[in-house]
Amino acid sequence: AAAPAVPYTYCSRPRALPACPKYRAARDAAELEKEPIRYTNLMYDRRVVRGNTYALQVVPVSTQPSPLEIQRQREARKRALARKCAKQQMQPRTPEPVEGREHVHVQTELYLEEISDWIIEVDTECQTDAFLDRPPTPFFIPAKTGKDVATQIEEGELFDFDVEVKPILEVLIGKTVEQALLEVMEEEELAQLWARQRAYAELRNAELAEVQRLEEQDRRYREEKERRKLQHMQMLQKQKETTEKIAARAFAQRYLADLIPSVFNNLRESGFFYDPIERDIETEFLPWLMTEVEETLERKVLGRTMLDSLIRTVVEKRLDAFSHKPLSDQTEAPAEESRPTDAAHQVAGETDAADQPVAEKEETDQPVPEEQPSRHISFRLEESDPAGTEDLETE
Amino acid sequence: MAHARISANLPPDIDPTKAPIAFGKRALPKLNEELRSPELLTQQRALMALCDLVHDPENVYQAIGVGFLDNLKTLLLHHDSTVRQKTTEILYIMAMHNVGRQGLIQSGMISALTELLDDPVDICRKNTHQIFEMMAKLHEGAVGILHAGLIPLLVFKLKTELDEIQELILDTLSNCLRVEASEALATGAITILKEKLKHSSAAIRSKAAWVLLEIGTHPEGKSMVCEEVIPVLVSLLEDTDPEVQASATGALMFATVKPQGRFSALGAEAIPPLLKLVAEETSKARLSAIKTLTMLAELPEGRKTLLDHTDTFQQCLNDPCEAVKRAAKIAISVIKWKP
Repeated sequence: AAAPAVPYTYCSRPRALPACPKYRAARDAAELEKEPIRYTNLMYDRRVVRGNTYALQVVPVSTQPSPLEIQRQREARKRALARKCAKQQMQPRTPEPVEGREHVHVQTELYLEEISDWIIEVDTECQTDAFLDRPPTPFFIPAKTGKDVATQIEEGELFDFDVEVKPILEVLIGKTVEQALLEVMEEEELAQLWARQRAYAELRNAELAEVQRLEEQDRRYREEKERRKLQHMQMLQKQKETTEKIAARAFAQRYLADLIPSVFNNLRESGFFYDPIERDIETEFLPWLMTEVEETLERKVLGRTMLDSLIRTVVEKRLDAFSHKPLSDQTEAPAEESRPTDAAHQVAGETDAADQPVAEKEETDQPVPEEQPSRHISFRLEESDPAGTEDLETE
Repeated sequence: MAHARISANLPPDIDPTKAPIAFGKRALPKLNEELRSPELLTQQRALMALCDLVHDPENVYQAIGVGFLDNLKTLLLHHDSTVRQKTTEILYIMAMHNVGRQGLIQSGMISALTELLDDPVDICRKNTHQIFEMMAKLHEGAVGILHAGLIPLLVFKLKTELDEIQELILDTLSNCLRVEASEALATGAITILKEKLKHSSAAIRSKAAWVLLEIGTHPEGKSMVCEEVIPVLVSLLEDTDPEVQASATGALMFATVKPQGRFSALGAEAIPPLLKLVAEETSKARLSAIKTLTMLAELPEGRKTLLDHTDTFQQCLNDPCEAVKRAAKIAISVIKWKP
């Protein structure tokens, strides 16, 4: 236990000492049982020293006596025993009995007593009677004093039953009837409520049906209106289309009224209507004629050019002949051959514009050589022609 | 030990099956605690006492405030049939008051009651259906029943249940289908209702016709009704029971809004019986009949036929009911309309 905060400190705290039990063996039992600690009075505690304290016997510290003390105690015990023996011997005794005789204790009183160790015991029992119940105290009936007096209540003297019972009866019956009425009213009220509700429900249903019918009607009318409107719109549309068509047709008719004449005019102007013979003459005869004319003219031109060239060559030859007479005649032949080629060249160079007609001419001349007036020229021409054509081709 | 009872014989008018009721305000809280006790007898006695107390609307209000509904919800699934029966009876009486209905919706009692639809005891089922019928009369209740997905279950039950329970189911369905009809149509309710229209009991016939009426208020319902049911409804117009006639006329009224319905009604020759109904002064079906004839008069063939009967409508103009007068006027104007 911790020391509280007081100025004292103890080696051992002061405590109330429990009673020292009388029997040591019982102490263990008491400890085990944990009896409530009995505190003894300090004044009657055997452990407290009493009396004067000047000549105090010091209790030895150790309970075990020291060997010296044990020896002393043994000697003391021996001495005491010896003293006791001595004392016993010094006591006067009766002399010893004579031989053959015995000392016997004899009683000398008047009346002999039987002396025995056992005390004569007599068992006696004593029993009280079973307790009887205390009898009830009798009623205390005091002695009668006074006079006897009697009284009697006749009918109708205290109260009149019929009159008195009325309010009670009224209350009873009234309550019962009230309860009954309440129940009946409750049911009636309920029945009426349901009836009213039913009537209300009917009205409500009727109104609802009316509303729905009107809704339905309204819907139908609206749909009908929509449909009619749609129809009308379609009709208007169709009408518009028809008028447009009519207008278009009128316009087209008018526009196309003079189409045919104009078409015919145009066609006629563009030459679609033609007299076949005329056309034929135009397309075939006249070109042929023209080509023939051209050919003839070409031939004529060619003839003229050939003639020109011939004249030129002849003149050149004459010139050469006149200038180169002294030269060998051997070169005449090749010169003659080469000159025609030169002549052909020149011819080609001079008559560029007449190339085609020349080619034509040469082509046409080849199969028609006999039309040429000068045959030897044609021989030459035939000679020079392949060369000329070759040259023309190479050019 | 001293007892509160004076003598061993109980007084003659105490019901031993009921728990004693505490005084004044303590009555309901004490019963609430007794309901939670583990002993069966205590619970039963408390339920019997509660059943009597709940007829008073103030007690209903207090009961909901004290928090009875959670205990009752737990007791709905009790194994003992008496407990269940009494609990459902109590809930039914509570549902008859608006406070009770609101409390039931808020505490989600509808989903708990779904379990009881298959209860083996008849009276429990009957009470459950009565509760549903009461709840369906309130709009939030009808919506709650729709949300709990009860409509397919109820339609299915129509085929198998007893007659009086069938009436209750038909009432519930008619109130719920006023809000929305698509679920019922999906589960093929129209076929089942068509069968019920030929049932032997007049009440079932009229209620089935009423359900068809409610289905017909929705457009998709109208088309389904038009397809199959109009001939049967027309035959019901000549039924002996005025309730049946009224409901059938109402159902026809909604079915003929659509043109195809009108054609099939004309084809089934609905005009003569309807005229008869209009001619009767005291018929409940008068208003609906006038309305139906108005719808039929929008068709050219109908108009032709009805032009001969305008005097019947003239008679209706003298009816004391304002709505009938108006309807008759509208009918006459529609008949005499020229395109």
